[in-house]
Parts: sequence; C-alpha cells; structure tokens
Amino acid sequence: MGETTVFEARRIITMDPSCPEATHVAVRDGRILSVGTASDFVGLPLDQRFAEAVILPGFVEGHAHVMEGTLWKYTYVGAGERRDPAGKRVAGLASIDAVIDRLAQAHDADPGDSVLVGWGFDPLHIAGARLTRRDLDRISPDRPIVVFHASLHIIVANSRVLDLAGFTSETAIAGVVKHEDGAPSGELQGIAPRLRLLRALGWTSWTGDLEPADVVRFAGAAQVQGITTIADLHNDLPARTVEIYRAACTPDLPVRIVPALASASCAPEEGVARIAALRAENTERLRFGLVKIIVDGSIQGFTARLGAPGYHNGAPNGLWYVAPDDLKRIVGIYHAAGVQLHIHTNGDEATDAALEAIAAAQEKTPRADHRHTLQHCQMARPEQLARAKDLGLCVNLFSNHLYYWGDVHRDITIGPERVARMNPAASALRMGLPFSIHSDAPVTPLGPLFVAWCAVNRMSSSGAVLGPDERLSIEQALHAITLGAAFTLHMDTQIGSITPGKQADFAVLADDPLTTPPEALKDIAILATVVGGAVHPTAARA
Amino acid sequence: MRPPAPASRPRQPLTVIGGFLGAGKTTLVNHLLAAGERRYAVLVNDFGAINVDAGLIASHDGQTLRLTNGCICCSLGEGFLTTLARVLAEPEGFDHILIEASGVGDPSAIADIALVEPDLVLSAILVVVDAESIASQLRDPRIGGTVLRQVQAADLLILNKCDRLDAAGRAQARAALEALAPRCPVLEAVEARIPADIVTPGLAPARSRFRAASPARHEARFGRILYERSGAFDPDGLRAALNRTPASLLRLKGWVRLGPYATPHLLQMVGRRWTLTPAPETAPPGDGIALVGIACGAVPAGCALADLLDLALLHAPVPRPASSPALPRTITGDTPRCH
Repeated sequence: MGETTVFEARRIITMDPSCPEATHVAVRDGRILSVGTASDFVGLPLDQRFAEAVILPGFVEGHAHVMEGTLWKYTYVGAGERRDPAGKRVAGLASIDAVIDRLAQAHDADPGDSVLVGWGFDPLHIAGARLTRRDLDRISPDRPIVVFHASLHIIVANSRVLDLAGFTSETAIAGVVKHEDGAPSGELQGIAPRLRLLRALGWTSWTGDLEPADVVRFAGAAQVQGITTIADLHNDLPARTVEIYRAACTPDLPVRIVPALASASCAPEEGVARIAALRAENTERLRFGLVKIIVDGSIQGFTARLGAPGYHNGAPNGLWYVAPDDLKRIVGIYHAAGVQLHIHTNGDEATDAALEAIAAAQEKTPRADHRHTLQHCQMARPEQLARAKDLGLCVNLFSNHLYYWGDVHRDITIGPERVARMNPAASALRMGLPFSIHSDAPVTPLGPLFVAWCAVNRMSSSGAVLGPDERLSIEQALHAITLGAAFTLHMDTQIGSITPGKQADFAVLADDPLTTPPEALKDIAILATVVGGAVHPTAARA
Repeated sequence: MRPPAPASRPRQPLTVIGGFLGAGKTTLVNHLLAAGERRYAVLVNDFGAINVDAGLIASHDGQTLRLTNGCICCSLGEGFLTTLARVLAEPEGFDHILIEASGVGDPSAIADIALVEPDLVLSAILVVVDAESIASQLRDPRIGGTVLRQVQAADLLILNKCDRLDAAGRAQARAALEALAPRCPVLEAVEARIPADIVTPGLAPARSRFRAASPARHEARFGRILYERSGAFDPDGLRAALNRTPASLLRLKGWVRLGPYATPHLLQMVGRRWTLTPAPETAPPGDGIALVGIACGAVPAGCALADLLDLALLHAPVPRPASSPALPRTITGDTPRCH
C-alpha cells in the first residue's frame, strides 16, 4: 500500500451528488481514498500547493483527434488564439499579411528545403479573405509551402508546389481552383489534388504517419487545458499506430487516451474481432473499445444530410458517407457483438438514419446500457432527442459550432429557427438524455472550459446569442465536460467525479467557475492536472 | 522530389467502377478479373468478396493480395489515397487499374485523379445500376440524389440484373437512364457479365474465358465495327465527331492520324469517354486510320459512326516536314456532367 496524499483546496467541486462540495481529497495508489473537509483529515500531513485553487474532476474530452498532436509540429496560422502543447499562447492572426509574416518567421527559423506547413487558416474569421499561391510565394519562391484551412478540406499551395504537382491553367478538375485569369489560385480540394500532392511532395500519407511525438503533443495540448481523458474519435488503427500508441501511453503520460476504431477501415465482422484483440491489452492510459461510424458530412460544408426543409440557402442536400441501409447492417453487427458505437451525424436526416439503425438493432438484440452515442447530432429535433433517450443513446453535442459558425448557420446554412435549437444541450438535460459537449479538435480549439463557455453563453463570434433557451448553467456545463463525457465513454465508474474509489484525476483551476460570471468562464487559468494521483503542473503561462 | 515515372513506362489505364450498394460492382470486378489475362491492380472495398483461385495467391499481408500472374488486389482499409499511392509506387506498372468506388460515393471524384496523375490515364467510369430497383432508388428522397450523381458521372452504364425484369421493365429502366444521361451508352447485363473487350484497354483483343464460353450470344447482341481509311483527321473535327457518337457505340479503339502531317495517335474510347495519345516513335503503325469498335445492335450504328467520322477527314494530308513541329499532346474528350 502506497502513501496517502491529502490535497487541500479552496473548493472542490466533486460532481458527486451525495457530496457535491469539499475542501480536501485524499489520494492513495492513484485512486481517491476519501473526500471531505479539514475536520475529516485532522492530524494528517496536507499537500497545500493547491490550497488557493479550485479542484474539479479532470476534464474529459469525448471527441477530439490525435491529429491535433500532429498539426502542432507545424505552424499555426488560425484567426483565434490557441494554446500549444507546451502551454504557450499562440496569438490569432487577423490578416493575410499576419499569416505570411508568421510563416516567413518559421521559414527563417528553419530555412531547410522540407515542406513548410501551416494549419488552421480560417477565412471566415478574417472577413472572408482568401489565401492564395501569390501570398505564399512572398515567403519563398523555391521552398514548397502548403497551408491547411481550419476545415482541413482545403489546402493552399505555393507556386513551387503547384509546379511540382504539375497543376497549371490547363488542369481541368474542379478540385484545382482557378483565378479569374485561369491560373490555379493555389486552393486545392478533394481527393484528386491530394493524391497528386502526396506523390509530388514525396509524402506517404496525408498528415503523415503517426509518430510517437504526435501522441506526446496530443497529450500535452490536452493537459494544458485541464483534460485528463481524451478520445481520439476516428482512427484506422493500423498495426503501426497501435504500436506507437502502446509505446507512448506510459504511466507518465499526463492523459488517458481512448481511440475509436474507424468503422470505414474494415468490415464490421473484422472490426468486432479487432476490438476484442485490442481491448485485451488495454491499460489505464490507453483504452480501446469504441467504434466510430461517420454517417454524413458537415453543415458548413453543405455535406450534412438535412431533413426538410433542407438548407436555408437552397443548397442541394449533402452526402451520405454510409447509406442508411448499410448503416443498419453495420450497427446491427457491432451492437450484437456488444461493441459501443459513436455515430457521427450532423444533419437531422442523418440522425434519423442512425436512430432507425439503433432501433432495428435493439429490436433484434435488446441490450441494456449500450451507451451508443450520437456525435455532433447538431440539428437534433426535440422528438429525435426523445427517441434517442428512449433507445438508450447518449449525445455528444458540438457546442463550439455556435461560436465559430453560428452566424453562418443563422444566415446561410440552416436559418434562424433551426440555429436556435442547434446543439440543444438544455433540451437534452430536460429530457434526461445523457449528454456531453466537445471541441472536435483540431477542427476547433481544444479546451473544455471554452466548450462549456459556448454551451453556457451560446454566443456567436459576432456576439449574437443563438437560442437562449438552450443555454446551460455553469454547473450543468461543468457536469457535461466531466461526468457527462465519462458516461458517454462508458468510463464513469472510473473517472468523471471526485468519488472515493475512482481514479485520482483532477483539473486544478485558479478561480472558482461557480462564482465566475458566465462570460468569463473560458478565461479561468488551468494551474495543473492530477492523473492517477500524479501532479502535472501546466507549463508556461505566457 | 517527385519520383518521376520511368520515361519508357506508359500511363496506366484507370477504370472506376461506381454504383449504389448491391448494384453488382464487385460482381463486375470478379467478372473482369476472370475474363482477362492482363496484369491488373484492383482496389476494392471488401477484400473477402473477390474471387481469387487460392492456387494463384503468391502472398497476402492483410492489405494486399499478390497473385502469381503479377496481379494485385488491395483493400481500401488503410485509406483510399494511401492505398492508391502504394499501387502507383509498384516497381512494375499494370495493364489496367480497377477501382471500386464506395456504394455512396461519386465515382467522378476518383476519376479526377487520373486526369491529374501523370502515371494514369482515365479509361472510363463504369456505373453499375440495379435494373430492378433503379426506379425506386431514384424516387427515394434519401438516396435518390446519390444514385443520380452516380448515373450522371457514367461513361458507360451497366444495367445489371436484367434477368429479373421482363422486356417492358427493362425498357422502362433503360428509358429512365437515357433521360438522365442522354449520351451515355446503356449496356444490359446479367450478373454483370459484359464482354471484357468493351472495357479492357490495349489494342489486342483480351483472351476471354467468357467469350470462349458463349460467343454466340454476344455476337447476336453486339455489332463489330471496322473503320479503315487512308489519310488523316482534322483534330477539331474528330473531337467534335467523338463528342457526338451514337449512344449505341460501346467501344472504339485503334490508330488514327491527325492534322496536316498525319501524326499517328492511339484512340481509346470506352462509352462516351475518349483519349487520343500520340503514338510512340518506336511503334509506328501502318499508314492510315484503322479503328475497331463494338456497338449495341448491328450495322446501323456502324454506318452512322462511319458517316460521322468521314466528315472529320482531311482531304489531302501533306508530307511531314524534315524538322518536326511541336510535340503532339494527349487529347481527351470533354464529357459533360451535371453536378
């Protein structure tokens, strides 16, 4: 039996309904031993380093991607401030010139001839300005340069890359965007230009094969945001990735990682066998078991499948990534085998297809407590939430959308009525539907307090409040980013609240979120995390 | 940085096989594999559904099945781009690359790859349609748009499972397709059995086990076309003619000569998709135009085609000058698509 540490705090918010508040928590062998106040721990030595701070259960990010770790090896050029895996603030860039300046600095700092890569470019939040080949050519005429848009669907290449790829004014495919003069603008989208780029740049896969350092950066980026458990919610999990995960997820890693197998990577029968084999070697830091299915595309990309009345601007309906009948088959096989599914649906028609598939599976093989989770589920109508509840589903809502694309959704994609019920967290709560909220990092920045801020304020980037009746209280939002998310990962017996017997996973905050004005929730500093009893201070606060 | 293809290595013809779930895409792949004796690379969604004689398997690593005859079969499990990049990096090229598109995918998105990859040339987009359910699929508000996009992307439509409909039903299904894709040939089939000659690249006829098995039925349904002329085509005239061929024309291939200097080119046409490739200097064909083709039905299509092509002939080709003009380039057809 190991030593007992008693942490003292200004306040401990436990998320445990029978003991919601405390000031002291005792930890032994990585687990929570007891929770109480000073009088419960008289005579014991106290660890007072967090005595002025507020302790919460470690945050649980139920929907992110390990690509967050991969991208941080490149230069961030997005419009909003982000925090890098070392905890350093990386300022947002408000203009094309600022983007070019930062890339030029990266080029000067490491002038080699490798490809210079930028990521996170976000035209929407710099007044629609588009980045072109000519802008990038100002950095270097010789070095290959590419910049990923925040959506990851568009890549901008400089002239050197276009030359290498052989894209000219004669290239006649839609994915090679042209200037008015007929020359390629540098913007590339879709699979055809991507393959050409891969081959021209001598890359083997799109954002590079996973490397051990990517996992470490992923963990770092999560840790500085107070996250102690994070899902990598769509991964083909080739043997090499699994090996790297196993090697990287040592007991020293400051987060627990929960990768979800991409259903599209193999037939469901094979997926069932793969999950069984992967689960057999789960550790406390690396937990396999989930399968992710993507049903449709994105709302802002007009690729989500919407029910009537469709897109607000009249755009044609989006794309199925899995046909409704096929979804039924795939869900049925995993469900019968006892696997937990996380199903991406953005549009409400896709959500209907997922609900039908689950209903059919439940009818054939009734299963209690399966906790299949609809991921994003952004346009859920009230009756869909009711049916989800009825079928034993959870939802993980994409609250950050309200801030980043809320104005676009109101004006262009789905209109004011449907934006008011977008990511309807308060409705889910009222109906008793288990739910969480997420960032989908790197699509939007990692940071549960920011996600909670979005769900509490429902404010768009222009300052409009979208659907005030769907706002959560701060307490409700904090539940969603801790125990709520742990529940959707089927890990609530181990994490998510400060309860004796659970893992000693904490987020240590500089201020008390329950007494902070809602608009300031996102600005509370994370001082440290505790994972399995081990303290991980968040580094540089620059 | 870019690993250049060896200069001698010809572009590899790519055929994309699209169509909704259950239409018979994998059946068609299996049929083409069995019917030809070429070096194929095949990329499929579901490995297990491909019929391979166990005796032919040289190696199998879970993602790639290598056969003793040089063919390879790849599952798309590790991602489409990664898999295709791996196939293109194979030391020896393939006679034909077949890609089975996803049942909900738009095959033209994959076909675009061959329009920008210097190692590839797009042979055709084949779209397999389930004759029995196409009408209800197109009416289905959930999947109708997906099926429509597939049909409109096709260079050649294969109306499969025709044995499940009577003559009237087949005619109805055919009419529905013809209305949606007016210039696209529609080939009726059972169990996706189509003459492999229609879709296999190259000039030599594929030695087809299937043809050997039942030549009579084929010859009754398909007319063979032979078009031979001396002289050369006007390039713009030929382009216009090829963009207006009758929808009954399924296949046309052979040597043509273009322009005032009668520069030899190889014409490959599958369905409504055509490509003219300058002839390699080392392989000068005869001295005229020699095309062979396959059409639905018999003589009328051949006559109509000959009339159309004749209009594009130049009257008097001039001898090629000693110093050669600018190198001729590959010319491809502009296939109209509705998006």
